[in-house]
Amino acid sequence: MAIPLSVVCLFAAPVSALLFGYFFLLKRKQEWMHWPMILSCAVVGVSAASIAAQVYSGHILDVSPFKWMPVGAWSISFGVRLDGLSAIVLSLVALVGGLIHVYASGYMEGDPAFGRFFLAFHLFYLSMIGLVVSNNYVQMYLFWEMVGLSSYLLIGFWYQKASARRASLQAFFTNRVGDIGFFLALLILMNVFPAAHARFSELFPLLGQGSLAISWVGWLLFLAAIAKSAQFPLYFWLPDAMEGPTPVSALMHAATMVTAGIFLMARSWPLISLAPHLPTTIAAVGAFTAVFSGIIAATRKDLKRILAYSTVSHLGIMAFGLGLGEVSSALFHLVTHGFFKAALFLCAGNIAHALHKSTASVDETGGLLKKIPVTAVFFTAAAFSLSGIWPFAGFYSKDAILGAAFDRGGWASVAGFAIAFLSAFYIFRMLFLAFLGPREEQHPPEHPHEAGPAMNVPLFFIVLGAIGIGWFGTQFYHLASSGWLGVSPLVKIPGFDWSSFIRSTSMAGLGILAAYLWTMKWPSFDWDWRRNMPWIETMADADFGVKPMVAALTLLVEELSYLLGIFWDKKTWDGWIENTSLWAEDAAKTVSSLASGRLNDSLWWILLGGGVMLLRLLK
Amino acid sequence: MILTLFWAFPVIGALFTLFSPAFNLRARWVSIICAVMELYLVLQAGMGFWGGRLASLSEPGKILTYGISYSFSMDGLSWALCLLNAFLTVIALLSSWKQDLSAGFWASFLFLEGAVMGVFLAQDFFFFYIFWEAMLIPMFFIIGLWGSENRKHAAIKFFLFTFFGSLFLLLGILALVVFHHQSTGVWSWDMDILRAPNHGLYAILAFAAFVVGFGVKIPLVPIHTWLPDAHTEAPAAGSIILAGVLLKVGVYGFLRGLLPAFSEWGMKSLPWLGGLAAINVIYGALSAMAQMDLKRLIAYSSIAHLGFCVLGIASRTAQGLAGGSLQLINHGLTTGALFLMVGFLYERTHKRGLADFGDLVSQAPILTFFFGVTVFASIGLPGLNGFVGEFMSLSGMAKVSLPIAVVGVFGVTIAAFYLLPAFQAVFLGERSSASVSPRVFDLDFREQALLWLLIIPMFIIGLHPGPLLNIVGPAIGKLIL
Amino acid sequence: MNHSLWLISALLFVSGLCAVVLRKQLLVMLFGLEIMISAALIPLVAQASFFQDSNGLAAVLIILCVAAAEAVVGLSLILHLKKNKTLPDTDALANLKG
Repeated sequence: MAIPLSVVCLFAAPVSALLFGYFFLLKRKQEWMHWPMILSCAVVGVSAASIAAQVYSGHILDVSPFKWMPVGAWSISFGVRLDGLSAIVLSLVALVGGLIHVYASGYMEGDPAFGRFFLAFHLFYLSMIGLVVSNNYVQMYLFWEMVGLSSYLLIGFWYQKASARRASLQAFFTNRVGDIGFFLALLILMNVFPAAHARFSELFPLLGQGSLAISWVGWLLFLAAIAKSAQFPLYFWLPDAMEGPTPVSALMHAATMVTAGIFLMARSWPLISLAPHLPTTIAAVGAFTAVFSGIIAATRKDLKRILAYSTVSHLGIMAFGLGLGEVSSALFHLVTHGFFKAALFLCAGNIAHALHKSTASVDETGGLLKKIPVTAVFFTAAAFSLSGIWPFAGFYSKDAILGAAFDRGGWASVAGFAIAFLSAFYIFRMLFLAFLGPREEQHPPEHPHEAGPAMNVPLFFIVLGAIGIGWFGTQFYHLASSGWLGVSPLVKIPGFDWSSFIRSTSMAGLGILAAYLWTMKWPSFDWDWRRNMPWIETMADADFGVKPMVAALTLLVEELSYLLGIFWDKKTWDGWIENTSLWAEDAAKTVSSLASGRLNDSLWWILLGGGVMLLRLLK
Repeated sequence: MILTLFWAFPVIGALFTLFSPAFNLRARWVSIICAVMELYLVLQAGMGFWGGRLASLSEPGKILTYGISYSFSMDGLSWALCLLNAFLTVIALLSSWKQDLSAGFWASFLFLEGAVMGVFLAQDFFFFYIFWEAMLIPMFFIIGLWGSENRKHAAIKFFLFTFFGSLFLLLGILALVVFHHQSTGVWSWDMDILRAPNHGLYAILAFAAFVVGFGVKIPLVPIHTWLPDAHTEAPAAGSIILAGVLLKVGVYGFLRGLLPAFSEWGMKSLPWLGGLAAINVIYGALSAMAQMDLKRLIAYSSIAHLGFCVLGIASRTAQGLAGGSLQLINHGLTTGALFLMVGFLYERTHKRGLADFGDLVSQAPILTFFFGVTVFASIGLPGLNGFVGEFMSLSGMAKVSLPIAVVGVFGVTIAAFYLLPAFQAVFLGERSSASVSPRVFDLDFREQALLWLLIIPMFIIGLHPGPLLNIVGPAIGKLIL
Repeated sequence: MNHSLWLISALLFVSGLCAVVLRKQLLVMLFGLEIMISAALIPLVAQASFFQDSNGLAAVLIILCVAAAEAVVGLSLILHLKKNKTLPDTDALANLKG
């Protein structure tokens, strides 16, 4: 089967860019490192566009050209599947990822490790592309892990900082815990179905069989997604992942890392929907994550940290939507979120860049509207999008999910209200605190400068997306329904529903109003409550007990390994084994004391021996 | 004749090397020439295994006495392991190139290579055992004469431990031979002929003797404690061979000696063996987490990784056996590379504690890159070799016993928990104030070339293990239940 | 065959044995050895005359020769020790102590 050039380019361009960069540029001309990467992004972008156009017109591609692990009948292949789902996420990754590459080339300019940054950055991009076009679970796992690896490299990019090293380890380990789920799911799938059926297109039609095993697989894949997409309780690595440079955060939160978990669940939806209680659990976990991290986001002071918790919250919203059965709407939210969250992060990057720091606290900002107006305008547009205000992109996707929540009623609609309120509240609190003012507690820099065109031009395009991508809902749902395995009946274009529009928009308006009162009406309130009720901040800092528990768990594992590896294995068990040599020595000493070496004693022994032999003879 | 040459050539080379100073020859040059020629010999003889043109190569010999016959045979699995042996010997010799060592050092490695070749090729249990024991002697001297401070203790411990295991192996072999004689009236030591009784205490005891005998070499928990000490004290080249080749003979023994002989009731013993392997995986990984010495840490990680080999083999499914065998090669490459790099560090600083280093990346970025790649290969990142072996082993085990496979999956996860922090502590973390280590120079051309030789196969096996699986495939086909 | 001969032989043998085992002087121990050999010879001579068989007497002569040779070797060892050490006492000869 012929593989189209566009598909070849998806892999060939990034791989050759990486190889060229590593072998030719890294040592000699690392300040040129961004050129091959941006070129490769352009090639991938064009390929992705042509693939999306193909898929849009109904041409699905599913080929497995290479055998990876062949053992007789048992075999795993490399392949690609290009259908609606992968085309959508691929386009998002290619477009947003490419723009962030351009932004990063401006942001990281002059960094002593410019070359290393772009290598890891592009590896991240490549892994995500590989992930979304995979046509079987094992290959998906390969890229899933590569995403983890590149996030490790990038979060720990400034490895000189202990906090960055710790955060990168934490991210990798937490994801590794989730990988247990993925790996086990793979093993069960291999066990229940022949190996070739790790391919989605062959696996999903067979799902009627082995229902208990299938529901296990569903739960395990959910565990994997919990870790990768930062759902409660394995979300804590994501806010700490802010230790990386800002473009990394933007890429990770918008296009690559965290969307992988949602993508996995969307891809596996035929499996997950078969597991009893699983969709409801996903919805509940998502709703709880959204509300929980929304509350924490409202108490944070570090700009990037607010955005990080906001991402966790929005991932919760996506999982919430998935669990409610609105798979395609969740995917739509993934796309719009990709745009507005990337925009917000890049704006935060602009602020940090203006302050010449890696991150900024609200204490160091305030009144930035006048000083960096372009960034302020971009940020405001993205904030409206995030809050879900009509006609910004966020509205269309979020409203579809909230509409489903209100339809479900009960706890789901309560969660829907809370989510709508909270996301508007925390983002506008951040907007008002950073760009209006300054208040007396804030010490903004005297002369911050606006970022250059290398940063603002890509940001501009991303903001355009954050504003307008929602208008293409019809086309999106058409694309999504094209060859999406098993979910076709679920892909429906949500009609415009006045009641949910009023409810969600009024809650968002309420959130904006609350943020206004909080930060503008009582300008010192954000500092006052910290002073007067420090225990609230202490609790919020500890993520309401999650962080201490993680620390305790880590300590427990460390102690356990010490007990086993040093106390038991080396000191006790090996001690016993080495003691056997002492026993042998003792025994030898006892026996050798019989041999006095005196002639007479020896003669007595001879006599004894002779006597015994004599007795034996006489008998 | 060619198979005899396989083991005899390095032994003759070892003698040459040993006496080369008397003829004013450089011992290291003689040894490396012999090792490279041996590598060429192995490659040349086994070319037929590529693409499955050759299933096996055998050299039947005439019976000497009591059924003992001098016969050798080589199939794809043996050939792959022989190749690993020849390859790692070259790497090991080159790794110590700059050190001023006596002829005995270089000769020991060649002698060891020859003995291991004999183990991989022997068709007759008698000669298998002789080569098995012969391996001990050069390794004992390598650790005991050229090791670090505590070398004598480690060498004696290594010798006694493995010798103790060998006696069990001898018992097991004799049990098979005697049983065969009792039931057929013919003496034979041929691995293809000897079969254990189907049931009864006699068979169980023979089985246990084999497990202990091979298990000491693998090593299986709880008879593993010689390994960390031996690795810690051995010179770098010794560690490479010890981890890369010597540990493999235990698993090879399982494949060649244990499984065929006990195939009749092997099914019943599988969960036991798989359980032991799962314990190995978890025990090795957890213990490794607590180690503060790089070599010790890698030694424990070897215990965990060899657990995966046994796990796959114990499943006796096509993918499990293939994965287990592949894991043998993988472990030889990754752990060999890790020990090689720790050896480079030790050569430069004479330190190997995790706390003795820090921020090496700013001084030695190339070393950091290689170490990073190898660490990720070792923790089973897909795309590198470790994953392929582990995944296939575990998916084989999942067919037989899902709980054991689940334990194995946890082991895969924990692998990251000990190797990554160690990597960070040594290469990224701050330099501890206590360390007064001199500046670490980055790798020179020879060292980089050695590492590329090890790392390129890691990528190839990780992305395209097909050819290797085809080589190993026919050899393990008859073991599948 | 006279019972008293057996008795004398046994008495001589035991006294020789006592000398060898209980005494510490090497010379006395050597005497004890000679006495033990001689004691063994007495029944041999008696039996030879009882059966009228000269083979027994031949054996006695051979044993006497061997005993003489042994005495020579033993004495020369003792003399050698005497040269190096002051006392040829068995307590001083504990080199084989384990």
